[in-house]
Amino acid sequence: MKKKTDHNKNNTKKTIMIIAAAVLLLAAVVMLTLFLSGAFQKGQTDDKKEDHKGVVGVISDDWDPGVEEPTDSQQRGGTKIPGYSSAEMNAGDKSLVIRIGNPKDNKVGFFASLVLSDGTVLYESGLLKPGQGLDEVPLNQTLEKGTYDAKVVYQCVLLDGENTPLNAAESGFKLYVN
Amino acid sequence: MKAKKLFTLILAVLMIALSVVSVSAGTLTESNPDGQTEVKAHIGGTTPEPGDVTYIISIPDVVDFGELHQVSENRDVSYKVKLEEVNNLDTDKQQINVYVKDQYATVEGDQEFYIANKADAAKKFSYSVYDVPAAEIDDDKTSLSQNTMTQAAGYYLTGFTTQGEELNGNLRFDQTQLMGYNLAEIVGDYSGYMIFFSIIEDQ
Repeated sequence: MKKKTDHNKNNTKKTIMIIAAAVLLLAAVVMLTLFLSGAFQKGQTDDKKEDHKGVVGVISDDWDPGVEEPTDSQQRGGTKIPGYSSAEMNAGDKSLVIRIGNPKDNKVGFFASLVLSDGTVLYESGLLKPGQGLDEVPLNQTLEKGTYDAKVVYQCVLLDGENTPLNAAESGFKLYVN
Repeated sequence: MKAKKLFTLILAVLMIALSVVSVSAGTLTESNPDGQTEVKAHIGGTTPEPGDVTYIISIPDVVDFGELHQVSENRDVSYKVKLEEVNNLDTDKQQINVYVKDQYATVEGDQEFYIANKADAAKKFSYSVYDVPAAEIDDDKTSLSQNTMTQAAGYYLTGFTTQGEELNGNLRFDQTQLMGYNLAEIVGDYSGYMIFFSIIEDQ
C-alpha cells in the first residue's frame, strides 16, 4: 500500500515537472519569437526612419510617375504635380493602386492625402521628398460599390527641416468601386 | 501510457508555439502596414491604367510680394501654371481644367485671397489674382475674386489640352490698403497660400 502511495507521489511529481518544463518551453518560444520579430522590424525601419516617420504604405525612393518628365533644359520653374483620370478598386478592398508621389525634379517636399469629396480621408502620407512615392496605398476604410469624386491633395512644403508650408495642389479624379 | 501523455503534452505546446509564431509573422509594421511589399511594374507610353499618372502640371510653390510699403502703388508678381506632360487625353472631348482659391476660401464664406501676419493671423490683407499678365490688366479686367466662387474647387483659371500650354497670370497687392494703419501695428512677415485644383473634364 505504501509502495503504491510512493508510486503515485512520484507520478504527480513527474507530471508537475513536465508541465513546468512545458510552460518554460512555451515562454522561451514566445520570448524568442517576440525578440526576433522586434529586431527584424527595427532593422527594416531604422534606415529611413527620419524620412518616412508616420508614413504608411510602400514608399520607393526611385518613384516613377509613369509619364515622361521634362528635362532640365525644358524646366522653367514651378512645382510639378501629378494628375489622374481615374482609379479603380473592388468593394471591400483595403488598398488602392494609385501612383502618389513627388516627381524627382521638384525642389520641395509633399505631404499627400487621398480624400473623397465629402471630406473622408482614405490615406495620408508622411513627408515625400523628390523622387519618393507609392504605387499602391493602404486605405483607412473600405468603400461600397459606386462612383466617387476623389482627389489627391498635395501639400507642398519647404525641405527646411520645419516643413514650412507652401502652396498646395489637388488632383481630382473619379474613383470607381466595383 | 506515460509516454503517450508526454507526447500529447509536447505536441500541444508545439502547436501553441507555432500559432504564436504565425500571429507574430503577420504583425503589421510601420514600414509595411498592409503586408503589401509588391511594387507594381509600369510600362510607359501605353494607355494609362486606372491609378496611373495621366498628366503633370506645374504650379508656383510660393509667391513673394517682397517688402510692402504704405504707398499708393500696386505691387505686381507674376505666376505661371503649365501643363508639363499629358498622356492619352482625348483632346476632342476633354481638357484639364485648373481652378484656384485661397486656402481658407469656401463657397459659403469668404472668397478673397489673403496674406496674413505670421505672428497674428488676424492681421491680414487681400490681394487680387488675375488670369492674365500685369501688362494686360486694364480698368475693364476683373480679378478672379471679383466674381462669385460657385465651386468648392475654386475659381476657374484655365483649361489645357496640349502639352506645353501655360497660363501666365498676375497677383496684385494694392498697397494703399496699408495706409490707414499705424505701421508699428502691422509690421512683420506675411504669408498666404493658394490651392490649385486640376481635373480632367469634358469640354
